[in-house]
Amino acid sequence: MTTAENKSDIDLLVRTYRLMARMNRVRPEARLSETLYFNLLADYYTRINNAHREGKLLAAHTVFFPTEILYAMDIVPMHTEMTTWLNAMFLRRQAEILSKGAELGLAPEICSPHRGVAGIFALNSIPRPDVILWSNLICDNTAKSGELMMELSQSPGFFLDNPFQDSPGEMKYLVGELEDMVRFLEEKSGRKMDWNRLSEMVESTDREIELYREIYQLRKAVPSPMSALSYLELLSADYMFPGQPESIQYLTQLRDELKEMIQESRGTISQERFRLMTLFIPPMHLMSSLTKLFEEKGAVSVVEPLFTRWSEGRLDPARPLESVAKKSFLIPERRSMYGPLSQQALQDITDSAEQYKIDGAIYWAFMGCRHTCATIKIIKEKLSEVDVPMLTVDCDIVDPTINSEEEVRDKLEQFFELLEDR
Amino acid sequence: MSYTELQSLESFREVNHTFPKTEDIMELKRQGKKVFGWLCTYVPEEIIHAAGILPIRITGYAQETELDDGNAYLYINNCSFSRSCLQMGLRGEYDYLDGVVAGSTCDGARRLFDLWQYYIKVPFHHIITVPRKYTERAHGLYYEQVAQFKEHLEQYLDTRITDEALLKSISVYNESREALKKLYQLRKLDKPPITGAETMEVLNASQRMAKEQFNQYLCELLDELAVSGIEHGSGARLMVTGSVMNNPEFIRSIEELGGLVVTDELCTSTRYWSDPVVLDGRSPLEAVSRRYLNNFPCARMVPSDERFDRILQLARDYRVDGVISQIIRYCVPYAHDLPLITDRLKKAGIPTLALDVEYGTSGSGQISTRVQAFLEMLETKKK
Repeated sequence: MTTAENKSDIDLLVRTYRLMARMNRVRPEARLSETLYFNLLADYYTRINNAHREGKLLAAHTVFFPTEILYAMDIVPMHTEMTTWLNAMFLRRQAEILSKGAELGLAPEICSPHRGVAGIFALNSIPRPDVILWSNLICDNTAKSGELMMELSQSPGFFLDNPFQDSPGEMKYLVGELEDMVRFLEEKSGRKMDWNRLSEMVESTDREIELYREIYQLRKAVPSPMSALSYLELLSADYMFPGQPESIQYLTQLRDELKEMIQESRGTISQERFRLMTLFIPPMHLMSSLTKLFEEKGAVSVVEPLFTRWSEGRLDPARPLESVAKKSFLIPERRSMYGPLSQQALQDITDSAEQYKIDGAIYWAFMGCRHTCATIKIIKEKLSEVDVPMLTVDCDIVDPTINSEEEVRDKLEQFFELLEDR
Repeated sequence: MSYTELQSLESFREVNHTFPKTEDIMELKRQGKKVFGWLCTYVPEEIIHAAGILPIRITGYAQETELDDGNAYLYINNCSFSRSCLQMGLRGEYDYLDGVVAGSTCDGARRLFDLWQYYIKVPFHHIITVPRKYTERAHGLYYEQVAQFKEHLEQYLDTRITDEALLKSISVYNESREALKKLYQLRKLDKPPITGAETMEVLNASQRMAKEQFNQYLCELLDELAVSGIEHGSGARLMVTGSVMNNPEFIRSIEELGGLVVTDELCTSTRYWSDPVVLDGRSPLEAVSRRYLNNFPCARMVPSDERFDRILQLARDYRVDGVISQIIRYCVPYAHDLPLITDRLKKAGIPTLALDVEYGTSGSGQISTRVQAFLEMLETKKK
C-alpha cells in the first residue's frame, strides 16, 4: 500500500486552474482577484508537482496545520483535505475516491473528505509525501487520519497535539509540540529552521489576518460587494499560503475591489433581495447551480460566522513559535466549530445577524461534521431571538449522491418564499 | 448457552435495573450528600471520591430507544451514546446531579458536555483538557489540568481535598481494580465460571454505586464463583472491542449463539479497571494523573499502536479465537482505527467481525445472523 510518484491528477488540476485563470482574463466582468485565486491554486499545485524535482521535502498535512513553519523551512505543504476536495470537485472523481476509502474499511460515517484522503492516497492520485503531519485541530477525523496516511504512503509522520482550551499551560504545551515538530522536520529534511524567516512569515500572517478582518467588515455594505458564495475562495488563501506573498496579494486585491464597489454603491447582483448568513459549507457538486439560483433569486451570502470571523489578537514576530501557536486559537473555525462552546461566539452570531442586516440563515448540516452539527439547535434558537429564520439542509460536501440538485433547489426556493412573505 | 444463576449477581443487577435513580443514590441525596456524573474514563474519579462526593458514570438508555430529544439537540450525526445520555439528562433522569465532569476526549463527549452545560442546570461543571499523547510534556499538561479540576472542586465545596483523603480513595479504587482483575483471571480458564454478559452486569454496577459497597459485592461474587463449580463455553472464545457499551443483552445474544466472550477492550470494562494507581514515590495527585493518562488507551490516543499492542496482548492472554468489533455509528475514533487493527489481528491469525451498531443494541436481527456466520467460520477454522 504505497502512493507512487504519480503527478497526472495534480497536473490536471494545475492545467484546470490555469485555464480558468486564462478564461477569467477575457471575461470583462471577471475580477482580478478571481484570476489571482485560480493562479493561487495553480501555483500551489505546481509547487507540489515540482517538490521532489527541486529536492524539497513534500509534507502532507491536515486542515488548520501551521504551515508557516513549513514555508520557513522551505518544505512544500500539501493540504490533504483540500486536495481531496478539489480533486473530487474539479476532476469529478468523487465516486472513485470515496469507494476507495470504503474499500480500505472506512465506515460511511467518517467524514467524506477524510475517507477521500485515504482514497487519494490509495489511488496514487498525489505525489508520495515525504512526511505526514496531522493534528486534532479540528476534529477526531483529523486526529485519526494521520496513521492510515502513514501506512498507505509508508512515510514517517508527526502528530501535533493541539490542546482544547486557551490557557497559559495549554499554550505552553502547544509551543512545546511545535518545537518537537521543528526538530522532526529538521531531521527529515536535513535543513535547519530559519527563525528569521519564520518571524517574517509571522509578521505577514498577522497582516493577512488583518486583511481578513478588513474584508469581514467591508462585507457589511448594502448591497453586498462580494458574490454569492465566494467566501470559499477567501478561505483558501490561508489554507494554502498563510503569510505568503500570494495570499497577501490576493486578499489585498479583493479588499481593494470591495472598497471600490462600496464607494460606487455597486453590488455583485443586480437586485439584492435576500442577505444570508451561511453556516458551514454547501455541497461542492452543487456550487454552480447554487450560485445561479442565488443570482436568480437575488440572494447573497454576506456573513459566515463559522468561517470568516477571526478572534481578537495580534501575532508577535519577536515570538514566532508562540505566535504560530496563538494563531491556532484565532482561527474562526476553532471558536465556532471546535469548541468549547463559547457564549461570546454565540453572541457574535446574533450580533452579526443584526450588523449584516440578515434576512435568513442557511445551515448546511454536513453529516460528517458532528461537533459542528451539535450547535444547530442552539444557533437556530439564538437567531430566532433576533427574528432571523434558519433553514437546515442535511448534506455532504464531497459525496454527490447525498443531495440532488432538485431537492436542494426545492428547499431553498421554499425558504426564499418564506423570506419573501416576511 | 445455559445460564446457572449466581446469587451474588443479583445485587449488581438490582443496581443496574434501577439506575440512574437507585435506592442508594436516592438515599444519599436524602441525606444531603452530593453526587457527580462523569462522562469519560479520563476523568479521575478518585478526586471526586476524596471530596466526599459519589461519582457515577453518566450512561444512556439500557436498550436501543427512540432518541427524539437527543436527535433534536445534538443532531442525528453525533453518536447514539451521546444522544442517549443527553436525552436522559434533558428528561430529568439525572436531575439529582450536583456536578458534571468531562474530558475533552472525543467530539461526541465534548459536545455532550457543552449541551449539558447549556441546557441542563447543574451547579458544577468542569471539562478537563486531555492530551492525546503519552509524552512527559503531555503528562505535565494533564497533571496541571487535574490539579485545576481539584482546585475548582475545592472552591465549589469550600473545603480542601487532603492528600490523606486522596490516598484513601486511591486505596478503595485500587482494591476494586484488583478484585476485577481476579474476576478477569477466571475468564482466562478453559471453562470460565462466569459469562461475558454476567461480567458486564458487574462492570456496569461498578460505575453506578459507592465503590466501598461495590467492592464488598464483588468479594461475595468471587467467593461464590470459587465454589460454584460452574463452567461455561465449549465454543469460540471471543473478545469484544470498540465503542462504549453498557448492554449485557448484546453480549448475551452472542453467547446464546454459542460463543463465549472471555475478554473485552471497552471503556466500560477492561479499559475502566485495568491499570492501578501506582504511587511509586509520587504525590497522590501525580500518581492519579499518571494512571489516568497512561491507562489502557482509548482510540483517541496517538500513536494507536499502544492500544493495538494491548489488544493483541489481551487476545494472547485470553486465548481468543475471534474479535467482535462493535462500533457505534459516528464513533469516529474507533471507526478510523478499524482497518488498522483488523489488519494487525489478521496477521496474528485472529479474524475480526466488524459490526456497526447503535448504543444499547441488543444484538438481534441482522447482527445475530452475522455473529452466527462468524461463529460458524471460527468453528470451521478450529477444525
